[in-house]
Amino acid sequence: MTQIEPQNQLTLDLSRKHKIEGSQATARQTAELLRSVISQQRVPYTNQAGALIDAVKAIGEQLIAANPVELAVGNIVRRVLHIIREEDLSLTTAAIGGLNLSAVSDDENDDDRDGDSTLSAAAVAAAARSTLRPPSLQTLLEDTPVSAAVPQTSSSGGDSEGKSKSADKSSRSRKLKHDVIEAVNELIQDIVTCHEQIAEQAVEHIHQNEVILTLGSSRTVLEFLFAAKEKKRSFRVFVAEGAPRYQGHLLAKELVARGLQTTLITDSAVFAMISRVNMVIVGAHAVMANGGVIAPVGMNLVALAAQKHAVPFVVLAGSHKLCPLYPHNPEVLLNELRSPSELLDFGEFSDCMDFGSGSGSPLLHVVNPAFDYVPPKLVSLFITDAGGHNPSYMYRLIADYYSADDLVVQRRATAGN
Amino acid sequence: MSMSAYYQTRAAHHGVVTSDWLAQSQEAATRAVVTGGQEIVDGGKSGRAFSVIDEFNNWRKQPDLAEAVAAIRALAAVIRNSEAKTMMELEIELKKASDSLKSWDTTSISLTAGCDLFMRYVTRTSALEYEDFNSARSRLIERAEKFGEISYKARKIIAMLSQDFIFDGCTILVHGFSRVVMEVLKMAAQNKKLFRVLCTEGRPDRSGLRLANELAKLDVPVKLLIDSAVAYTMDEVDMVFVGADGVVESGGIINMMGTYQIALVAHSMNKPVYVAAESYKFARLYPLDQKDMGPALRPIDFGVPIPSKVEVETSARDYTPPQYLTLLFTDLGVLTPSVVSDELIQLYL
Repeated sequence: MTQIEPQNQLTLDLSRKHKIEGSQATARQTAELLRSVISQQRVPYTNQAGALIDAVKAIGEQLIAANPVELAVGNIVRRVLHIIREEDLSLTTAAIGGLNLSAVSDDENDDDRDGDSTLSAAAVAAAARSTLRPPSLQTLLEDTPVSAAVPQTSSSGGDSEGKSKSADKSSRSRKLKHDVIEAVNELIQDIVTCHEQIAEQAVEHIHQNEVILTLGSSRTVLEFLFAAKEKKRSFRVFVAEGAPRYQGHLLAKELVARGLQTTLITDSAVFAMISRVNMVIVGAHAVMANGGVIAPVGMNLVALAAQKHAVPFVVLAGSHKLCPLYPHNPEVLLNELRSPSELLDFGEFSDCMDFGSGSGSPLLHVVNPAFDYVPPKLVSLFITDAGGHNPSYMYRLIADYYSADDLVVQRRATAGN
Repeated sequence: MSMSAYYQTRAAHHGVVTSDWLAQSQEAATRAVVTGGQEIVDGGKSGRAFSVIDEFNNWRKQPDLAEAVAAIRALAAVIRNSEAKTMMELEIELKKASDSLKSWDTTSISLTAGCDLFMRYVTRTSALEYEDFNSARSRLIERAEKFGEISYKARKIIAMLSQDFIFDGCTILVHGFSRVVMEVLKMAAQNKKLFRVLCTEGRPDRSGLRLANELAKLDVPVKLLIDSAVAYTMDEVDMVFVGADGVVESGGIINMMGTYQIALVAHSMNKPVYVAAESYKFARLYPLDQKDMGPALRPIDFGVPIPSKVEVETSARDYTPPQYLTLLFTDLGVLTPSVVSDELIQLYL
């Protein structure tokens, strides 16, 4: 029962939306919750990976449903699922290698049994190799077995070798959980240190006497600029204030505290000032599979201005922000409408926005979207903790971090298999 | 003038049949029988009346079967009829058959791609640990037969992937008759989505008329346009959906004449262009301009006699570069055009 409580707490926090701010904090809490779920999950002897995957999917479904706009949650759930599959696969191939050796040593006289075990082992290895790869032209003509078949073949391979393997299996099940938890720890570590890893690359991109433009406030951008300042680059920063939350004001204050020459401008002045800027560096809320960016509102404006004046538009994003989904209607589906109070003062405008009077529908509506979608053709470079990449290259990172089976996080309907 | 066999078949399946086209096809059919007969004579193998080209033509006649599937079935028949005793011998026979198929119709990209894919699969299979030749051979035949199912499943997968991109109230512009795009629209209609389709006529095949017919049967609101009216109606369009005869290494597509034009107009008006293509259509071609591909000619009937000194552009297909395409829906998933070369590299190198 203890695993229910932290999950409920996190779900509540996510749905309240103001409790946890920022994708990094969300990602970290999600990863920690999933780690505790995995460590508390009892796994059967066979199909351990399947049981873990089901448990993670069950929790993941709820977490994602609590706040679909916070894509980092779904990203981390899918990363953990991918980790489970990978660790299981590497254990399987290691076990097969072990099986081969023990078969050869134990049954020297029994030649055809040897042959059998090597053939089935090779076939299993080939099957295992093909399951983890996403469908590709190479596997088009082959029988692509369902991913759950991988743990099953490994267990059937174990059975055919007799009781000497049962001791191995229990140690393997412990090993799987142990490996997965280690990998999840690494993931948490990556999430926590993503700012430093991105900031390390600052010196390559910011040169002497440059003028940088940014919008709103992003901790990644802050660390990035600080790192360049540490390396004795002298540059100036234009900060667009980022209405209606005006977080650019906070960023400007922090930059000045660190000794950087800063100029604060309104969002509407971006087009006027862009011709004096060498580079635009911004953070992102999420990066989609086609290279499009979900960023705080106003970013599309800056991106268009940058394109018009041939200014490089650089987006900084930790790898937990990388989402394997393609946006088919991002302005609507991946956006959040915030309270009108950020724009208007209720006291002055209460009669315009009165839902109780007359026809019940006021003449004044206030739309306050939280995010903007920047299409991939406007982005020049993505700087992630894995290095700097083209928008058209993002699919490769996604293939590395996620499995194709996990795009839709849903628990399988039937209990069997 | 020579007519591209591939486009002849497509017109046979999807075009509107006019009387003088019928006359042309009769003449072409008799020509094909003669060449088929020659193949049998030149065949090589002693006393065998088997011709891979005939086999291919038989399969290709079925309207619902993709070109690549017909090609692979024909190659499976080669394996079945072969008297080879080792994998090397079988591979050599297959290579010869595949080459003769490819040279018989140089204009069909999915034929070439299907043959190459199957040859690659054979090479890889023979490299695996099948000690027994017969079991390897039967496995090859079995997979080749299954390929038809794979192709059919591929269309279903593509239809499922594209569903999210069709939202209620959208207007879709479609060009040419693609069975894959038809599947996408059919599934959207079955899922009770509200959308309407603008359908170009698609001269000279006029396959758009056939598509409009099929869509009307599904109770989807359809509007027919002549090809020149595309720019006129582009502002009310939300997205463009096309199929592909082939997907080339750069991520661009080769499709029925008119696709490039529509993609250019859509791009200039910021409308997304989505391509629905199965993955076996990926081909190792890299055209640099429109004339870089082998010509595929299709005679055009203008309805009035044209004086002989007037030249007519009879090419049946064009090349759309990748920068005008937004996304490709394939059975390998939703891809951006830059992923195509990655997939091809993984397969061939």
